[in-house]
Amino acid sequence: MTAPAVIATSGLTKDFGSGRGLFGLDLEIFQGEVFGFLGPNGAGKSTTLRLLLDLIKPTAGSAQVLGFDTTRDSLAIRRRVGFLPGDLALYPKLTGRVVLDYFAALRGGVDRRVRDSLVERFDAAVDRPVHELSTGNRQKLGLIQAFMHEPEVLILDEPIAGLDPLVQQSFHGLLGEVSAAGRTVFLSSHTLSEVERVTHRVAILREGRVVVVDSLENLRKVAVQRLEIEFAQPMDPRDFQALPGVKDATATDRTVTVSFEGSADAVVKAAAAHEVLAIRPREEDLEDIFLRYYRAEPEK
Amino acid sequence: MSWPTIKMALRLRWVSTASGGLGLIAVLIVVGALFPAVGHTIGKLNIPKGVSQLLGGADYGTITGWYRSEIGSIYGPLVIGGLAIAGAVAATAGEEEDRILGLVLAHPVERARLVAAKAIAIAVVVLAIALATWAGMVVGVAIGGGGIGLGHISAFCLQLAFFGLATGALAIALGAGTGRRSLAAGGAAGVAIVGWLINGFAPLVGALDWLKYLSPFYYYAGHDPLTGGVDVGGLVVLGVVALVLTALGMAGIERRDLRA
Repeated sequence: MTAPAVIATSGLTKDFGSGRGLFGLDLEIFQGEVFGFLGPNGAGKSTTLRLLLDLIKPTAGSAQVLGFDTTRDSLAIRRRVGFLPGDLALYPKLTGRVVLDYFAALRGGVDRRVRDSLVERFDAAVDRPVHELSTGNRQKLGLIQAFMHEPEVLILDEPIAGLDPLVQQSFHGLLGEVSAAGRTVFLSSHTLSEVERVTHRVAILREGRVVVVDSLENLRKVAVQRLEIEFAQPMDPRDFQALPGVKDATATDRTVTVSFEGSADAVVKAAAAHEVLAIRPREEDLEDIFLRYYRAEPEK
Repeated sequence: MSWPTIKMALRLRWVSTASGGLGLIAVLIVVGALFPAVGHTIGKLNIPKGVSQLLGGADYGTITGWYRSEIGSIYGPLVIGGLAIAGAVAATAGEEEDRILGLVLAHPVERARLVAAKAIAIAVVVLAIALATWAGMVVGVAIGGGGIGLGHISAFCLQLAFFGLATGALAIALGAGTGRRSLAAGGAAGVAIVGWLINGFAPLVGALDWLKYLSPFYYYAGHDPLTGGVDVGGLVVLGVVALVLTALGMAGIERRDLRA
């Protein structure tokens, strides 16, 4: 792509000591992209998002959002960005309406129609005190405040946390519309399934370092699959570990879990030499992708 | 200045401010009503000098001494200081530890301006309590038979307001500067309590008499506004301290990472 990146980081580092933090992040996210930032808890996802909003200061490196430096021009960035923090908290004694009024006022006002349409879309309970709301209903308020000023960039930390499937669907629809309108979304998640339907590209982060940045399509090609095979007798997992394509095999009593790439042929044929009670495929998930990248490039 | 933040901070504090103010008015009126009945008896009590120093002289035989000891030394600074510290800590380190401040600061508002707005809201709380003190005292003194002029009551409330501003500003500085609720509340309350003790006890020991100049109580009540009127020097010291501490809080939060 030749257009300048909407979000760009260069060697972005936040060192909390004891190996915790974010180290040397180089990332470019372009206009209209929905970019997923994936990794287990503590991998550095929230740290990255908080650095972009200047809530914390980098130890080294730099980042730009919409061409503005995150430390020098933070105010200009915050005018144009909608942010949803992970583990959202709001004023507990106030109603959602009052909280949204306050956030709107901090932005000098927002288009009432946009705000009302978001409230309607998410069926948000805005007239009850925040402390009476479930996690999901609080999250709806968080999403509304992030979207209601129609920001050019959305930075969302675990946006789907606590949302029921119907609201998730509504949220995914909103992301599609936002992206189609040329606005950019940078969202984090620790679960691939939460974001796989909506993201164009993802970065996988592990222990503060990016392991891979790629499209989901490409990641799926290299993702390992898992089969859970229940035998009539206890099995030695080493019988499977040496098979072609197998990345890992573990056993718990009579059940062997085999992770492999490519065809399942060798695994199934090896299993068929014994009495098999059940074979259960396990859907590929983030852990499988982690496995692929962690095991293949342990030095990174 | 962030007007929405001032309004929000006041909205979050109005219940405690109103209940504190009304409670103080009630206490002030009851204190005035009790004076004719008990003042002359209590006035004859032989109170140890150390204790009487802590209680503003403990001259219970006059209505001025009665109010100086009951309100000037205890209830007044306790309520105004307590509400100022609680409000300032909740608005800064409290919101930060509760993970609300991070979302607020993702909006286009400068950190320093946000802290300034919260400091202004706390100042409004302090002034409201001072005003309630004034109203309660005017009524209480009248019920108690009179004896303290309106000018002296006003001077006392002005000194009390500046004490509240300085105490609140200390909590703002610690809360905004560190983001730690317990440190800010404990630090500000600790300084107030130690200041009260120093102001009471230091003058009893000649060599330590100078310590009283370190106590905010000295600048608030050292010149006894109920008989001496406004102490401009004391107001200047408390006012400058409040401004400097607020500025330190504003500068402190700019430089650091938010904790949550």
